[in-house]
Amino acid sequence: MIKKDRYYTAKALPGILILVLLFLIPLAFTISYAFRDNGKALVEVFSDKYTYRLLAFTLEESVLSALISTLVAIPLAAFFSKYTFPGRKAVLTLSGLSFTIPSILVVLGFVIWYGNNGILNTLLMRILGKDYSILSILYSFKAIILAHVYLNFPIAFLLITNAWSVLPDTPEKAAYTLGKSNSETFIKVTLPRLLPAILSSFILIFLFCFSSFSIILVLGGNPSFSTFETEIYRRVHISVDREGAAALSLFSFFITGVILIITSPGRKESKLSRKQKELQKAKGKNLAAAILLMLLILLFILPPMLSIVYRAFYTKAGGFTLKAWEDIAKGSTGLMSTAMNGIINSFAIALAAAALAVFFGSRIAMAAAKNNSKLLPLLSSLPMATGSVTLGLGFSFLAVMLNHDSLLASYLLVGGAHLTIVLPFAVRTILPGAKSIPDSLSAASYTLGVSKGRTARKIEYALLSPYKKRAFAFAFALSLGEVNATLTLSDGHVSTLPILIYRMISSYNYQGAAALGTLLLCEALIIFAIGEGGKKNAIS
Amino acid sequence: MPYLEIRKLEKKYKDFTLSASFGVEKGEFLCIIGPSGSGKSTLLSLIAGLDKPDGGTIILDGKDITSEKIQKREIGMVFQDFTLFPSMNVEKNIQFGMKEKRKSERKKLSDSLLSLVDLEGYGKRSVSSLSGGEAQRVQLARAIAAEPRILLLDEPLSALDAPLRKSIRNAIRAIHDSTGITMLYVTHDREEAFSISDSIMIMHDGKTVSMGTAEELYRKPSDLFTAFFTGEGTALPAHLIYENMEGYLFFRPENAVLSEEPINPDMYPMHIILSDAEILSCEFNGSAYMLGLQYQGYPMLLQSAVKPRRKTVSVMILKESLLNLE
Repeated sequence: MIKKDRYYTAKALPGILILVLLFLIPLAFTISYAFRDNGKALVEVFSDKYTYRLLAFTLEESVLSALISTLVAIPLAAFFSKYTFPGRKAVLTLSGLSFTIPSILVVLGFVIWYGNNGILNTLLMRILGKDYSILSILYSFKAIILAHVYLNFPIAFLLITNAWSVLPDTPEKAAYTLGKSNSETFIKVTLPRLLPAILSSFILIFLFCFSSFSIILVLGGNPSFSTFETEIYRRVHISVDREGAAALSLFSFFITGVILIITSPGRKESKLSRKQKELQKAKGKNLAAAILLMLLILLFILPPMLSIVYRAFYTKAGGFTLKAWEDIAKGSTGLMSTAMNGIINSFAIALAAAALAVFFGSRIAMAAAKNNSKLLPLLSSLPMATGSVTLGLGFSFLAVMLNHDSLLASYLLVGGAHLTIVLPFAVRTILPGAKSIPDSLSAASYTLGVSKGRTARKIEYALLSPYKKRAFAFAFALSLGEVNATLTLSDGHVSTLPILIYRMISSYNYQGAAALGTLLLCEALIIFAIGEGGKKNAIS
Repeated sequence: MPYLEIRKLEKKYKDFTLSASFGVEKGEFLCIIGPSGSGKSTLLSLIAGLDKPDGGTIILDGKDITSEKIQKREIGMVFQDFTLFPSMNVEKNIQFGMKEKRKSERKKLSDSLLSLVDLEGYGKRSVSSLSGGEAQRVQLARAIAAEPRILLLDEPLSALDAPLRKSIRNAIRAIHDSTGITMLYVTHDREEAFSISDSIMIMHDGKTVSMGTAEELYRKPSDLFTAFFTGEGTALPAHLIYENMEGYLFFRPENAVLSEEPINPDMYPMHIILSDAEILSCEFNGSAYMLGLQYQGYPMLLQSAVKPRRKTVSVMILKESLLNLE
């Protein structure tokens, strides 16, 4: 009916312009650095064996993390999509927390829980009566994989369970009546239908892990465990080789682009029946199995997060203390002196970035939906392909060019980098909502003599409200936990909570890190609750 | 000059072209019928301004509105889909398109419209709690509240079940009669169009084929498409009966009489007699038997009050009921 609507394009134009500028200007600086001295650094990157070792390691850790996360999730999803039992919904909701939990909290939780002097080792030493660490997990390849699985397995579990729960089970019943066994039915009937969901979660986790930064940087603990993202950061801040970092970031952008093109067919959402499958009530042995599985999941998910809260109030020896909190309140010395500042910064930057992302994102999404545009969502996804460290690098080049000494400019640069990172996610979250508004609804309003502006305000944007809420929560959480770009761009002027946590972990101030981590965790939980509210109110 | 005049209106698509010319008088209830894909809804979209025509003009009350914005046309529309605004309750939906009015007047008008569509007390309800029939009634009330000069209804009842369709179509007609608003009603249901309209326009392949009252179209169709679209009948090649005549001779099942005994044509000069017709099927439709016959290889349909016992029969058709159509 009403296609190619200029009204919505005009409304989206400022957002598109800002996105393009925020993305292209830093990228242009990165390219110009990479091509300095006749592209010497670029030639070196392409011909250096180390680059390909980085690529091999990045691929290895991403594939392994995604594979383990998915393989662990499948049997759990099989159980959760077949039976209903008390606590099922709570565990599924808790799994959704992985989307909003900042990776720096996983790093902190792992250090406190799994560390050589961590809570788990202390407990094991007491139980077994030993005076040495029983488990040696951290600062190794297995720590990286375990942390990635910790952060991403709930995503696979949630996506596969949701897909499986709405998959009608009549084909399986038909297979049983034809005399097929459970295993044969699963392999030949269920698995092919479930494959899009499995593949889509595998690819999503693979992409997350491909651009993983703080987990590799801290939990790897060794330059031999380097990915593109950590190596770019090291080149900027340790070797001060800007050209090399720029060249490597272009190489990484090229590889990510290739991976996105290869994996894009696998990420298409499979259209599943909306009719909910009738779940069976778990009884007897099944109920016991359900309780056991829930306990296992909770035992895996909760301890690292709870240990952060514990460590914020207790010393390593186990004594209760509020010292870290007092230091934060008083603005004590060292890193703690900037703690309050970091809390305010994080909150203000996340609030501004999320609000702007939702404002511009909803207009871009509406324009894309109304004009049936494929270009707009693609354009707004570009920063995702670039990687946040590369974006941070571009912004740091911009900062060098500006050669400023103004605090406001530093804030604007960090805010700009955050907005560039969160805007694509906001557009992607709102777009399905914009697409679900039927043309006939707007047409009905026009035939009542109502203007486009009032129709947009009172009807269309009102319908987008739950999606905007979710987008805000997602964008806020992303910005709040953002480490990659902020750390790469960091000029010492602007400290955020995750950066302070990272620095405190690096200087072994675990209690201070835990106190700030507890605040970050609380904020993530509040945001998660807001997002869940948005999910419930979305148009079905 | 008609109140609404459509002059050579055209809309071209890759494999379909709509071209229409017709007029509607003020206060008239015109039904537009035709098979799926005949262009009925496209025509309404063009009149409402939801789509732009490639040629022709739309004149409303003497003014060319072809290039007028949708919002300025004052043409209301009731859609087939659920188009109530989920962000507003029933009352707010009805008040949304109202012209400048005081709050108390808006409330009074929405209450009276709710009572007009037989939904008193529904004002504060959420639109998601309404049944299909109730939602369509609210859509109707909302469209009327905007005081349109013409109301277009695009298959508003097609998603409802038969008894509900009947009751709401009667309500729509009653609202038309009490408000006097000009209505254009699209449907593919012949019975619905016959029962509700002042006049009917038939569309086929993007063209307006014929227009008239239900009775005119049934009794004196202008072509074979109209004849078959408005009811059942038989079309026999004219040369089977009159040697030099071209085209087809069309008659309705109730205009033919069956005889199980041979008939002497000389005794019935006002009739055409077709001997040796073979009965192929016999269905009882509640009031009579509908017989499917074959005459010289051509199918025929006729109605009989009694069930025939023989397989081969004679058929008498009143000459004046035969229509020579193309």
